[in-house]
Amino acid sequence: MTSVSIVERGGGPPQRRRRRGGGFSYVLPALVLLLIVFVLPVLLLLLRSVTEPELGLQNYRELVESATYGRVFLNTFLVSSVVTAITVLVGFPIAWLLVILPKRWADLLFGIIILSMWTNLLARTYAWMVLLQRTGVINKTLIGLGIIDEPLTLVNNLVGVTIGMTYIMLPFIILPLVTTMRGIEPDLLRAAALCGAGRLDAFRRVLLPLSLPGIAAGGLMTFVMSLGYFVTPSLLGGTSNMMAAELIAQLIQSLLNWGMGGAAAFALLVLTLALYALQLRLFRRTQAGRA
Amino acid sequence: MMPFLDIRNIKKSYGGTVAVQDVNLTVGRGEFITFLGPSGSGKSTTLYVIAGFLDPTEGDVLLQGKSLLSVPSHKRNIGMVFQRYTLFPHLTVAENVAFPLRVRRMPAVDIQAKVAEMIRLARLEKVQDRLPSQLSGGQQQRVALARALVYNPPVLLMDEPLSALDKKLREEIQFEIKRIHQETGVTILYVTHDQEESLRLSDRIAVFSQGRIDQIGTSTELYQNPATQFVAGFVGNSDFLSCRIDRVDGHHAQIVLPNGAVVGGVRSHGSVKAGAAGTLMLRPERVRIRACTGEGSDTGMAVTVRDITFLGDNTHFSVETDWKQSMAIRVPFGRTGAEGLAVGGRARIDWVAEDAHVFDSVAQV
Repeated sequence: MTSVSIVERGGGPPQRRRRRGGGFSYVLPALVLLLIVFVLPVLLLLLRSVTEPELGLQNYRELVESATYGRVFLNTFLVSSVVTAITVLVGFPIAWLLVILPKRWADLLFGIIILSMWTNLLARTYAWMVLLQRTGVINKTLIGLGIIDEPLTLVNNLVGVTIGMTYIMLPFIILPLVTTMRGIEPDLLRAAALCGAGRLDAFRRVLLPLSLPGIAAGGLMTFVMSLGYFVTPSLLGGTSNMMAAELIAQLIQSLLNWGMGGAAAFALLVLTLALYALQLRLFRRTQAGRA
Repeated sequence: MMPFLDIRNIKKSYGGTVAVQDVNLTVGRGEFITFLGPSGSGKSTTLYVIAGFLDPTEGDVLLQGKSLLSVPSHKRNIGMVFQRYTLFPHLTVAENVAFPLRVRRMPAVDIQAKVAEMIRLARLEKVQDRLPSQLSGGQQQRVALARALVYNPPVLLMDEPLSALDKKLREEIQFEIKRIHQETGVTILYVTHDQEESLRLSDRIAVFSQGRIDQIGTSTELYQNPATQFVAGFVGNSDFLSCRIDRVDGHHAQIVLPNGAVVGGVRSHGSVKAGAAGTLMLRPERVRIRACTGEGSDTGMAVTVRDITFLGDNTHFSVETDWKQSMAIRVPFGRTGAEGLAVGGRARIDWVAEDAHVFDSVAQV
């Protein structure tokens, strides 16, 4: 029995529990700020959504029943899902490259990624407009190479939105992934190789499962940020295929329909939180299932 | 007869720096060989070449007559236990052991049976459903051992597998490794910088120094007949005295100590040349010490006693020669002659000619 108890004290994760309430006073200023600039406005918006034009749930009923609103929400979730999927697919190899490259090259690549984050969002989005337009570099190159005859419509639709947003979201998946991957012991992959695992097996059975926490964290961040993204969809998207943030902006700014705008905003918030909770739960369960 | 594992003339250099060179070693089936040497002596590099993590600049590695160099790591079918615990943290003990069989697409039933057998061999029954993070260091290395042996590799490589464990645990696992070696009959190449570990575990020891193998032999061969001064210093305890080589006659030499004493019949090693500077090597337990009686019968060399430590089964004398070189001498409990010695007093030491070795000082580091 002695050996068992020693084992259990062995190398387990550090205890998370702290004295409760002890640090509360430190978070108080931030909490007050959040209450004033976030919670309060959201509640006010919620209030207006059930009081304008009159008391009741008519705004939410319209949101659910109207095909237009339904499509906007569908677009939003579709684009966000596709953007998240592509950023994970593209970000994963880049993150791994950052981990395994010699420091000099990794720093350079890292610099490029960070620099792109620091460049003004509007400038980057307009740059994509130039690249993606009918007479833009991409279309011209593709036509020049004889791959297509007619220019592709890459902008003013969801394709443009997806491309632009994928680019903007990439660092948000790469950074948490790099953090997770740096924690993977390099000899693990050597061990996997000597155990007989080829590249695919080593990836599927070792690298991928060990990177999952980073994928989950980065993926969730990308998805949630995409759901409420405004600038890129409004510039690269078309008028026929709106995303939720555009819809809310239009309802409030152009139509001055605060009730409907509030309802849409609140619905988006609830759906986002629900997804977050679901993801958290699924992730916890897989973690718990392992322990 | 074709050797089981044949390491031929391995050289590995990075740009201008040579990590290992002239590494030649033939290993018999079922042999337990340790690579002994300080860090940076090339022992791990040699192991990595065999594992396929490094391509040698020159040379070849043959397993049962076939070159391994063109075979990628994952197809070499070699087992390896690493210095740090390299268990898959997301898999349980049993899943870790099953890993090599899963990637070999073995049927589930066979995997289960084989894993159960290895778990039993490594005595991991009680912890087989735990994650590596819930195990002690010793248990983790036993899992690593089970995982490396589950696919019956012809060769098992071990890269300082016990260096992260404390002394007591290390001895326990050494015993386990020895038992597992006897039960499985696997050929083991074991890297360590701990001479005691290599003496305890292996059939033969390859002593690495500065990227080369200085000597390969059984522990007794290395101890009794070290080929270089480095081997003499690394395997067992030794006393070194500077000297000049007077005359070389086959495998024996006559030397002159700094105090002018001429010593004949010393066994010479390496390229010892008459007239050159050399190093005389003696084993502390082969040197005899006795008090100066002041009578005419005094033979041997006069020294000054600097320290005396009683260690139970033997007594340790620290002495200084007249030219200020210090020596250690061990006298087993019960041997007479050393009575009456006191710190600061004079003593006389001597030894049997055959126990003295001389090396050329050039190769000295």
